[in-house]
Amino acid sequence: MDWVFLSELAINGALTGLLYSLFAIGLVLIYKASSVPNLAQGGLTMVGAYVVLALARDVGLPLWLAIPLAAVVMFGLGFGIERVALRRLAGRPVVMILMLTLGLDIFLRGTTLAIWGGTSRSMELGVSYDPLFFDDIFISRIHLVGAGVALALFVAFMLFFRTRTGIKLRAIADDYMASWSVGISVERGVGLSWALASVVAVAAGVIWGEIQGVDQALSLLLLKGLTVAVLGGLDSILGAVIAGIILGVVENVVSDFLDPLVGGGSRELIVAAVLILTVMIRPHGLFGRHDIERV
Amino acid sequence: MQEKVEAQNILSMNSVEVLYDNVILAIKGVSVQVPKGEMIALLGSNGAGKSTTLKAISGLLKAERGRISRGEITFQGVDITEALAQERVEMGICHVIEGRRVFEHLTPDENLTAAAPRGMSRSTLNAEKDKIYGYFPRLAERKSSQAGYLSGGEQQMLAIGRALVTQPKLLMLDEPSLGLAPFLVEEIFGILQKINKDEGLSVLLVEQNALAALEIVSQGYLIENGRVVMHGTAEALKSNSDIQEFYLGGGETDFHNVKHYSRRKRWLS
Repeated sequence: MDWVFLSELAINGALTGLLYSLFAIGLVLIYKASSVPNLAQGGLTMVGAYVVLALARDVGLPLWLAIPLAAVVMFGLGFGIERVALRRLAGRPVVMILMLTLGLDIFLRGTTLAIWGGTSRSMELGVSYDPLFFDDIFISRIHLVGAGVALALFVAFMLFFRTRTGIKLRAIADDYMASWSVGISVERGVGLSWALASVVAVAAGVIWGEIQGVDQALSLLLLKGLTVAVLGGLDSILGAVIAGIILGVVENVVSDFLDPLVGGGSRELIVAAVLILTVMIRPHGLFGRHDIERV
Repeated sequence: MQEKVEAQNILSMNSVEVLYDNVILAIKGVSVQVPKGEMIALLGSNGAGKSTTLKAISGLLKAERGRISRGEITFQGVDITEALAQERVEMGICHVIEGRRVFEHLTPDENLTAAAPRGMSRSTLNAEKDKIYGYFPRLAERKSSQAGYLSGGEQQMLAIGRALVTQPKLLMLDEPSLGLAPFLVEEIFGILQKINKDEGLSVLLVEQNALAALEIVSQGYLIENGRVVMHGTAEALKSNSDIQEFYLGGGETDFHNVKHYSRRKRWLS
């Protein structure tokens, strides 16, 4: 057993996992404020990356300006989605809203294809590709940066949900009708959660765009992000972070053992197994809220 | 004379009809007046239209695809028939909906915070909370536990406290006694009476428990089949033989001889 190699797998797995968390935080934000799993988060992430590129390449702004500007644009887009599409569905069965988000994801993918085409573009953040060395362990710089962004967002949102606005969003997720009855604007709250999730999508889009290039494949991050969010408990930001690390480590270490046996490709299987087992064994995830049944 | 009466009523509901899904007529021309600073009860059996009446006043009909198709509602002389639920809360109407419906995953303290009106300062909010904990000391004891695990009585207290944070002028309660032990109902009604006296808060109370309700209100309306069939002071209603028979459990004891049909028909005609 080569311990150096194993810890390298684990550490890089954990960093990759935190990048899944970065994506999953967006899902959790929307779920926490409206109890709807947002299947369009992949599409939003992809659009976030494209908007950054459009501002940086097509308009010619420097990246340090293009990224915050894209965050502002996406914040507006998030609010717009609530105003145009979701508001009509308030109070309808969750499955309707779920289908709407799926349709939105397809719509966003089609739109980027129409505007920017399907060729992969590079983000070129300027982060060096040379790995860092800690003793004998290789660590990718961009993964380290992304993990740092994920942790920063985690802390920011943990604090946010203790503020008055954050508490109101959690109240909306608990009970729309009761929220209306005490004058909480459910519509604005849901809009705000989409806006914040869209900002998170910019962060995830930039980091993932740097790693795998910007094209429609970015939206497929949804599968891993959803797995992380479900494992973490869908409405827990802490859960998303810890579940991300767990999935990243398990995926990296286990696939290293399995790949030689099955001839490669076991990563996807591991992700699928984690998702299915979570739903079967612990549907509310590691840290998710239980539905309270009083007797 | 008429104008003077109008000025004394904080809420006036005139011949209001409510349609659900554009087809189902849930209430058929209900008129209810709430004089300022008084406690009024809406009585009636299940499905009579009491909750719908409250939702028409609070604006929560819209969430259930209902709408006011005829009539008008004025609050402090302002027509609110078309106002949004949120605007009505800001004007001072707060509706404690049926079934308590506290925010289960929040603590009681967070439940109160969630209801804070926009722009309420932190110090005002804390003062409001202290006042509410003063009315309901049990809530203060449990303010950091999860609201979903409070007892039924505590949840009802929290639901009322949460409504009080919005600083209402008219508080509407939908069946606050539902599923609670009689001593708790007495405690909660006692506190409502105290708030009504101390702060001059007007209260509109929907109850099936007519006996308990008529003890604390000044007037009552009896609603059946979406219509007001009787209106009078609490004393008059308590001594009415029909009310005694159907709602207070007194009167005829031989159930074979109870003349449900003919009496109801007499009200409705």
